[in-house]
Amino acid sequence: MFYSVVLLSIFGILNLFLGFLKSRAWLLPVTLLFLATALVVTLTDWNKSLFFWNYMMSTDNVSVAFATIIIVSAMLILPLSRFYFPNAAAPVPEYYAILLFSVVGAILMVTYENIIMLFLGLETLSIAMYILAGSDKRNPRSHEAALKYFLMGAFATGILLFGVAMLYGATGTFNLSGLAQYVRTTLVNGASPMLYLGLTLVLIGILFKLSVAPFHFWTPDVYDGTPTLFTAFMATVVKTAGFAALYKILSVSFTGIYSVWWITLAATSVLTLLIGNITAVYQQSFKRMLAYSSISHAGYLLIAVTAMGQTSQSSILFYSLAYTLATITSFAVLILVNENRAGESFSAFNGLARHNPFLAFALTVAMCSLAGIPLTGGFFGKFYIFINALEKGLLFLLVVAVLMSAVGIYYYFRVVIAMYMRGSDDNAVADRIIVPKSYAAVLAITTFLTILLGVAPDLLVRYF
Amino acid sequence: MADKIFYFLTFLSLISAMLVIFSRNPVHSVLYLILTFFCLSGHYILLNAQFLAAVNIIVYAGAIMVLFLFVIMFLNLREDTEPRKGMAAKLAAVVSGGLLLLIMVAALRTADMSTLNNPASFDSQIGLVENLGRVLFTDFLLPFELASVLFLVAMVGAVMLGKREAGERNF
Amino acid sequence: MEEIPGVIRTIPLNYYIFLSTALFVIGIVGVMVRRNALIIFMSIELMLNAVNLLLTAFSSYRSDPAGQVFVFFIMAVAAAEVTVGLAIIVMIYRNTRSVDVGILNRLKW
Repeated sequence: MFYSVVLLSIFGILNLFLGFLKSRAWLLPVTLLFLATALVVTLTDWNKSLFFWNYMMSTDNVSVAFATIIIVSAMLILPLSRFYFPNAAAPVPEYYAILLFSVVGAILMVTYENIIMLFLGLETLSIAMYILAGSDKRNPRSHEAALKYFLMGAFATGILLFGVAMLYGATGTFNLSGLAQYVRTTLVNGASPMLYLGLTLVLIGILFKLSVAPFHFWTPDVYDGTPTLFTAFMATVVKTAGFAALYKILSVSFTGIYSVWWITLAATSVLTLLIGNITAVYQQSFKRMLAYSSISHAGYLLIAVTAMGQTSQSSILFYSLAYTLATITSFAVLILVNENRAGESFSAFNGLARHNPFLAFALTVAMCSLAGIPLTGGFFGKFYIFINALEKGLLFLLVVAVLMSAVGIYYYFRVVIAMYMRGSDDNAVADRIIVPKSYAAVLAITTFLTILLGVAPDLLVRYF
Repeated sequence: MADKIFYFLTFLSLISAMLVIFSRNPVHSVLYLILTFFCLSGHYILLNAQFLAAVNIIVYAGAIMVLFLFVIMFLNLREDTEPRKGMAAKLAAVVSGGLLLLIMVAALRTADMSTLNNPASFDSQIGLVENLGRVLFTDFLLPFELASVLFLVAMVGAVMLGKREAGERNF
Repeated sequence: MEEIPGVIRTIPLNYYIFLSTALFVIGIVGVMVRRNALIIFMSIELMLNAVNLLLTAFSSYRSDPAGQVFVFFIMAVAAAEVTVGLAIIVMIYRNTRSVDVGILNRLKW
């Protein structure tokens, strides 16, 4: 894992140098090759348990799996950039380099063993995202997204760091196992109040970045204003890395005081599910609906974190993979529809099935997966999380989650209905969308994997 | 002696921090923030963290605040440019801030710190360059190197965002 | 054993905790009260400085260098954040002639 971090950093710099070349044709294949190399190097750490550099990073199967999800989703999102940048002057090599660096940050968040690495990874990822959010320089909505994301992110960092300082004051270490050791001794001696305050502030800081209610208010505006390609990155890579980091700090260091924090997380997850799903119903724009849907999925993932147990890591992994694949599909279709029909509202999807049956099918599979319909990956994702909650006896969480999944079916199927039932209003809109090859490939892969996960979840689950 | 300096610096840093957020002119805010940073550097010297005191002055007061000042003058911000929030919103913010402070202080009041400083094992040299440098380049070498990735992202991003595109306003 | 600095002998660590908590809360109030993006950003810097003071105090009282190294990293990251943040603010000013976060509220729900 350490080597893939080093490699990705070097590849990012190489990418910047590739910008000197006149031809842009090589840029995308080379970047994909870089990511594939990093993926292979990451996978060589499978079944090894290693610590790097004085307990700064650690590798185990879970972190390898999370890093794989992150790199694969970056590899699936990058091909969508092929026809995305309209003007020739767009600094594409810089975008690719920043994306590679942000993958470095995400991997640090997955493999950290010392809070200093979590902080560095989080900041690398966040700063890269602030920049990409504002990259559409002539669009005021993109400015607004960048400013909001930046101010909220920096504020969250401040809160997180104050929590870290409190934890350091209580325990005298930044190391996760050192924190765990202190927590074990507190079971006998009683803890310093700084430990609880620090844990609360760290949780608030991380939940802010994960856009969990009541800290979600920045999310819709930011997701809406950011260029869609980078929104896809935010909704998948940032979420996955953030939940991996949250799960790691809680499971490694703070299982000893589970009774202190589980009720906070349970309350936030109920709130997140309610707010995310109910507000999503009222959206007119597909992109904003996806933003609220990402909030509600954070709520489901938070249930798995709350129900911390033997199997919760595998259900978090499965859920984030299923969610990532479906989200990438929806954003890819959204980019195509927006480019060709100039609209992000549900009505822009009217009659898509008649002219582009493949796009409509891919989006339908993605929506089914997000809604948790059987035969898609999302169904088993929700299923495993609900099983976790049941085993832990969190019945009220289960009830809220099931009810909210039912609400979810309503708004996910609005776009399906628009595609299959509604005819397009005028003929100009009805023109067939020409799907570029790279998009077709990405959509085929994500749709296939979504169905595969839904038909044979054992392929993945038996490894954990 | 040291305790008198401590109380003086504490008083000054709290007052100047208040003035940062309540003064109407952005330039005054920056100047008060610089004053706060100098007070904090004084605290660092009292705590025998000389290296951090110097870095705080050089990085924060020297580089970051100059950047702020530069941007404020560049954008020609005056006090009349900022719309004010309503009195009710302000009052709500101040009251909730006060409550937050009250809760945090009440929670931390019972924290027992007396076990922390053990005179037998006390080392007054830890805040000096020699010792910090050794720790930074042995135990914390990996984060130190990875911070360079962060800087590279920030640098590329600042250039990318700052560059004028065709069709954008000059200034 | 070298001499223990006067502050550590005479001032309880709790005073430093209260001071940095107060600075932190002042920063939070600043974020809530002001509408100028630059001042909000300065308030965030104030919060980070409260963290720095707290870490340094813990580190000195415990004579453990890790806290001071962390402060060093916070300063480095804050510098990187400032460059990006100011670039975003300048970019926005160039296009909207304002750094008020209020007028950026065109998107809702």
